Amino acid sequence: MSKNVRTILLVMLAGGVGWFHPTVYALNSMHLTNFPNNSGKLVPASQAVADRTIRGQVTDETATPLPGVSVLVKGTTTGTITDADGRFTLNVPDEGTIVFSYVGFVTQEITLGTSNVINLSMVPDVKSLSEVVVTALGIQQETKKLGYAVQEVKGADLDKARETNFVNSLAGKVAGVQVMNSPSGIGGSARVTIRGDKSLDINKNQPLFVIDGVPITNELVGSNGRSYQELDYGNGASLINPDDVESITVLKGANASALYGSRAANGVIVITTKSGKNSKGIGVSVNAGVTLENPLVLPKFQRVYGQGNSGEFAFVDGKGGGVRDGVDESWGPAMDGRLIAQYDSPTSNGFRGGDISLVDDGLLGSPADMAARGTINPTPFLPGNDLKKFYNTGVTTNTNVSITGANEKGDFRLSYTILDQKGIIPNTDIQRNTFALNAGYNLTPKLSVRTTANYVNTTSDNRPNLSYGTESIIYLLHCWMGQQVNLENMKDYWIPGMENRQQFNYNYNYHDNPYFNLYENTNDQNAHRLFGNIALKYDFTSWLSLQLRAGTDQNNDLRKRKRAFSTMRFPFGSYREERVRNSETNYDFLISVNKDFSDNFSFGINLGGNRQISKMNNLEVTAPQLLIPGIYSFNNTRVPLVSSIYDGNKIINSLYGSVQMGFRNFIFLDLTARNDWSSALTLPAAVSTLGDTDNSYFYPSASLSVMLSDMVQMPSWVSFGKIRSSLAQVGNDTDPYRFTSGYGRSDPWGDFPIYSSLASLVNYNLKPEISTSFEIGTDWRFFGGRLNADLTFYSINTRNQILPSVPISITSGYSTRVVNAGKVHNWGYELMFTGIPVDKKDFQWEIGINWSANRSKVVEFDGDVQDYQMAGAHGVSIRARVGERMGDMYSIGFQRVDDPNSPYHGQRIVSNVGRYLPTTNLIKLGNYNPDWLAGIRNSFTYKNLTLSALLDVRVGGKVFSETWVVGLEAGQLEETLEGRATGYDLTQPGNGVVAEGVVLQPDGSYKPNEFKLTAREYHQTRTGNRNIPEGAIFDATYTKFRELRIGYAIPSSWLSKLNVRGLSVSLVGRNLAVWSKVPHIDPETSAMSGGTIIPGIESVGMPTTRSWGINLSFSL
Amino acid sequence: MLFAPSCTTDFVDKNTNPNAINDVTPNLLLPGIMRTAINEMVNQSWGIGNIVIQHTAKIQFVSEDRYTWGDRSGLWNNMYSNLRNVELLLEMSERNNASNYKAVALIFRAWMYSLITDAYGDVPYSEAIKGVTGVFQPKYDTQESIYEGILADLSTANTLLGPGETVVGDLIYGGDINKWKKLANSLRLRYLLRISGKKDVKAAMQAIVDSPSNFPVFTSSADNATLRYLTSAPNQFPLHTTRQGSFDEFRLSKTLGDKMLELNDPRIATMAQPTDASVASGNPVYVGVPNGLNEVSALEYNGGPNNVSRVGHLYYQGAITERGLKVATGYIMGYPELLFILAEARQKGLITTAPTVQDYYEAGVRAAFEFFDVAMPADYLNRDGVKFQESEALTLIGTQKWISLFFTGLEAWFDWRRTGIPELVAGRDNVNNGKIPVRFAYPQSEQTLNPQSWQEAVARQGEDTYNTPVWWDK
Repeated sequence: MSKNVRTILLVMLAGGVGWFHPTVYALNSMHLTNFPNNSGKLVPASQAVADRTIRGQVTDETATPLPGVSVLVKGTTTGTITDADGRFTLNVPDEGTIVFSYVGFVTQEITLGTSNVINLSMVPDVKSLSEVVVTALGIQQETKKLGYAVQEVKGADLDKARETNFVNSLAGKVAGVQVMNSPSGIGGSARVTIRGDKSLDINKNQPLFVIDGVPITNELVGSNGRSYQELDYGNGASLINPDDVESITVLKGANASALYGSRAANGVIVITTKSGKNSKGIGVSVNAGVTLENPLVLPKFQRVYGQGNSGEFAFVDGKGGGVRDGVDESWGPAMDGRLIAQYDSPTSNGFRGGDISLVDDGLLGSPADMAARGTINPTPFLPGNDLKKFYNTGVTTNTNVSITGANEKGDFRLSYTILDQKGIIPNTDIQRNTFALNAGYNLTPKLSVRTTANYVNTTSDNRPNLSYGTESIIYLLHCWMGQQVNLENMKDYWIPGMENRQQFNYNYNYHDNPYFNLYENTNDQNAHRLFGNIALKYDFTSWLSLQLRAGTDQNNDLRKRKRAFSTMRFPFGSYREERVRNSETNYDFLISVNKDFSDNFSFGINLGGNRQISKMNNLEVTAPQLLIPGIYSFNNTRVPLVSSIYDGNKIINSLYGSVQMGFRNFIFLDLTARNDWSSALTLPAAVSTLGDTDNSYFYPSASLSVMLSDMVQMPSWVSFGKIRSSLAQVGNDTDPYRFTSGYGRSDPWGDFPIYSSLASLVNYNLKPEISTSFEIGTDWRFFGGRLNADLTFYSINTRNQILPSVPISITSGYSTRVVNAGKVHNWGYELMFTGIPVDKKDFQWEIGINWSANRSKVVEFDGDVQDYQMAGAHGVSIRARVGERMGDMYSIGFQRVDDPNSPYHGQRIVSNVGRYLPTTNLIKLGNYNPDWLAGIRNSFTYKNLTLSALLDVRVGGKVFSETWVVGLEAGQLEETLEGRATGYDLTQPGNGVVAEGVVLQPDGSYKPNEFKLTAREYHQTRTGNRNIPEGAIFDATYTKFRELRIGYAIPSSWLSKLNVRGLSVSLVGRNLAVWSKVPHIDPETSAMSGGTIIPGIESVGMPTTRSWGINLSFSL
Repeated sequence: MLFAPSCTTDFVDKNTNPNAINDVTPNLLLPGIMRTAINEMVNQSWGIGNIVIQHTAKIQFVSEDRYTWGDRSGLWNNMYSNLRNVELLLEMSERNNASNYKAVALIFRAWMYSLITDAYGDVPYSEAIKGVTGVFQPKYDTQESIYEGILADLSTANTLLGPGETVVGDLIYGGDINKWKKLANSLRLRYLLRISGKKDVKAAMQAIVDSPSNFPVFTSSADNATLRYLTSAPNQFPLHTTRQGSFDEFRLSKTLGDKMLELNDPRIATMAQPTDASVASGNPVYVGVPNGLNEVSALEYNGGPNNVSRVGHLYYQGAITERGLKVATGYIMGYPELLFILAEARQKGLITTAPTVQDYYEAGVRAAFEFFDVAMPADYLNRDGVKFQESEALTLIGTQKWISLFFTGLEAWFDWRRTGIPELVAGRDNVNNGKIPVRFAYPQSEQTLNPQSWQEAVARQGEDTYNTPVWWDK
């Protein structure tokens, strides 16, 4: 260890540690024997020659004076500490270097010049040795005292990342955290899991989000797929405004979060918003940016053959009246400029080929219509469907202005953010206005009040439809649209004279005109969200305080869906409104005792209680058909309105407490206990005698932290060493109204109302779920923080899971029942590693690596349940089976030769007509979970210039691609050129394909398949004509260039005349590249179905985007 | 109080579902039972029934037509789930002594179980729909015993029906009790004939015929047990809302088309549309597509889709026209079918009293024309291939019955499996070794959800494939 480093370390410890906390580092190998006292002066160990006196003031980057900064003559122990105003005076030699150090800030060295005044602004240091993090209930704790794994992300790393959904910006930054986007383009939901899936209920694996100590709801509400209208309006956490976030602490285990109650079983993401606390006087900050987006991965189409079949196509009416013109696949003629009648070819009467409803006879393509249109003059058949032209460059602008102020009585921060995003899909957008207030005031020396209030208004004129179906634009463009279709000519999307009544299209059999879809069939939204809290704190004595707090999160969202006349699924149009109102309100109290009984023992107790009230009220009304085209009002309904309502209520009362004990500042023990009483586990009066469900459940935790580096002598290069371990339980209840049986209303038949009984069986004997977690970890820092490692192992058992819909044989009359069973075991490792390979005055290089691996296994169900389908789509199901991994995917597979003695063992079996044969039973395709995940960040700082790059690596796991299935079937993907080298004449070489596999012979042996299929048949049998999803399974391993940031802080000396501080400019790129073996799609994808994000299944979602942005921030 | 932890009464109220309807009356359940079951049969008809019986053929996505049937769980799931409502209706009407509702529920139970067992064979019956009492894996009963139950339910219904409460919510007969009685007995005749190869049903059939006052049966087309759909969503004929392209994947089968052309039968204009090409050239003709061609041949047959007939307009966009409402109905049982049943029974000596076979047969043909809302040509009954001949009686009856059961669910398939009339040949590119399926395989879900019962049934009945005949077909 160089003397230099050792000195820096020493000074940091001596100065910062000595002044600010009682921690004493026993670095006995060093020659510092006199520990600093609290007098504000360092006792010199040796006297240097004092030649002159220098003075000055030390401030932080916001010009706030810093008291207690160590000021030391380099290479000596001569030094002092700044006073309350940050000022210092020191006798120094004529020449030399002065070292300024302070905990939490980067140590700076100043070479003495001629001036005797040194005014210095210090820069915060993210890698300081003893961070304080915000833990459960908003209690700030030194990390060394924690017996469990936490990881912090600074707000500064988020507000420049410019993700519309801030949750996405956690990807790759925290070990053990996996983020999965919904395939929904702008402002969509994200699925976050920490340490893998623990619950068999696939929707119950997300962590709890807590803002300023109060939980917010992260519900994904109302994405009802009915009538092919799957939509994602974003989940709760997606609305958090990065500009207002000070820091995020991820509490990974149940261990970390027993005090938050049930929902914390999957970890907690604790968000602390910015306040005005550290400001002096009034300050104004501005952060503004603009981001441009384009698709990261698009399917690669063959650009050779157009729409049609067997090489033939000619448009007459786009519904089968021409030559193959009802077909929507691209197995047609070569797009070599030959003349073919098309939808956009001119006609003898001056119309377009597709204008097939010119006569108002209520029919499409009637003889009269066709006569009015005239005959089509063929035009050159050339490549169209150019996705690059279809997608716009998405533009997001974001501006945040905040005003902060503080004096000795209080502080405030008021912030306004406006975000405006135009999606890459035409006519999709989102606007978001966020107002945030964070203010505190000391009413008396003992009584203080703090409040945070956030109002978010999100509006959108159109959010895109999702998933596989006609309403989704991706379904058309990525799967079906004929390769020759010129998109430009689709833009004029009404048939002349039939405006608002009949769309103009290239195909009238299956699809909607894409621009008609996007500009007429819109899904708008106007959501108001208000969340915040008020907290009163009274300090009875220096060691006893009481806090009372009320927090609420109110969401009121109005969504309107318009469907124009002539829409494929809605010939008479339709109009639907959804009002989604949900809220969560928490009241809590907390009594805190913090007392050190002697130098050896510290002691703290927290006692608290909470009442959580959740409400939901969703109303949906639909006019299934409209009377007058173009008027979207319930007054314009053609048929009776259809409506549904859901009203939900739940209350959880809780009492809890924790005890923290510290012994000689190197052993720390935390004990917690909590009891919840949940209304959701309370039997309604009508059925109270039918079971013995108990609504009370208790769960404790214990955690231990041992500071090895304080306890025993360590070599000098060991700066910090800790072992931690904890054991915790978390109980969990269920959704309200689990005990409801009864009847549901369905659409009436004329005047007859219709009801039918519910197909789910209730269970009146529910026990709360309990998950028990154990974790052990260790945290080491070497060479004064230049090399750090943190390793955690965890093991979690979750039992008595409440599975709301376990399938049973429908022959019992019921399709599902509530089962209280199951045991899932999760275990895994998390490794965090940071290092500073280069740490020069002007140049620094930092590396950070996060690595994690998780396994979840189904240990048992109870009774006869052996197999549970958690989710499914496109013939692929995600099933939990006893003894198998969670997240295993199953489907029908290829029949294979299973005789190990056969030379063809393992080969796929082909029928006597050349097609792959499906298995009768489901086979396991693999698991959607990765084997491991890693995030690698490199940052380089040269003077004021910073460059940081984040790579995100996922290894292992499978993904199913519906784009692959349909893209092959419809002859769209470039792979479908195999087998039509010169066209469709099978006698020509290169045309037709013999599927690789073997055919069963009458004698039971096999021989290689020789049956030649047409290209179309071959590419369709590759996924068994949609019956063999195994053919569309890929290794989901990928590496993503997740983030690149180049920042430049304009030197303050340049700004001195402008009265501007902290001006910095940064260039940010996100999702810049992806390397994977999955063709045509981003492997980091999922499906969305009825409000559930289904991992592992790609269902023709919106393409993920690559973005570039520039960001400017400064303060006044 | 804010922090009283378990305010029990408060919690009890909070967890009482404000959205739930805890009790209903029979009139609210009945229409749903009817709509659900009948819609399912229309969809079965479209998806598989019309195809396997070669009324229609597929030109795209030809798997079903080549007998790659996959998991056919729709009928099973729909019927068993709906039977839960039927059982509740039965309980409710027993509790209230509502004997007419009870009888209607029994008729539906009988009909629905017949559909399940005729499609799958041995199925859960005596232990079925008992999930509430903890029976999650009901055993499969033999088809023989299920038929005893079906016939008993119909007899009971016939006895119960009479003066009493008005049946409200009756989408079929608008509360006409006498018509329900006729349906109960007509269905009994259908099921007696169906098991006539296994059981001696003479006495039972004769008894019904002998006593119209005790056992009334259909006496005219006005008695047809069919559901007349509405003109507006969501109660239109289920196919009405299909996309054009999906509807056009199904075309007139060459088997039916050729037969109709051979008989010069005008009903073809209801069942199918003349080809687009022929309409354009001013000389409309009907062309059917052979069943079971591969993807390429099917689509290219006779020069492509323009040269083969679509399925009749009344079963699609025309379903909401006045005539469409008459023709495109949901089918339980019709008067023509009853007459063909009686003709066959008379021919086979299962009933022995007048009228004659010929009378029944000719009345059946006449009624069948009425069923399609088509005027029967005056000479139709004397045409070759129609004209009654004693020696050809069963073939004639079977053929006309097969025509008359166009688009009526799975009934034509069930009947064909029993009689083998008309003679059908599996499609050229079928993947079932030239055999036409005679059963649905059990839904795959039963293998995991009710494995033991499933295994027992398979051991008893034979391999779980669509080539294993059910009991009455063995």
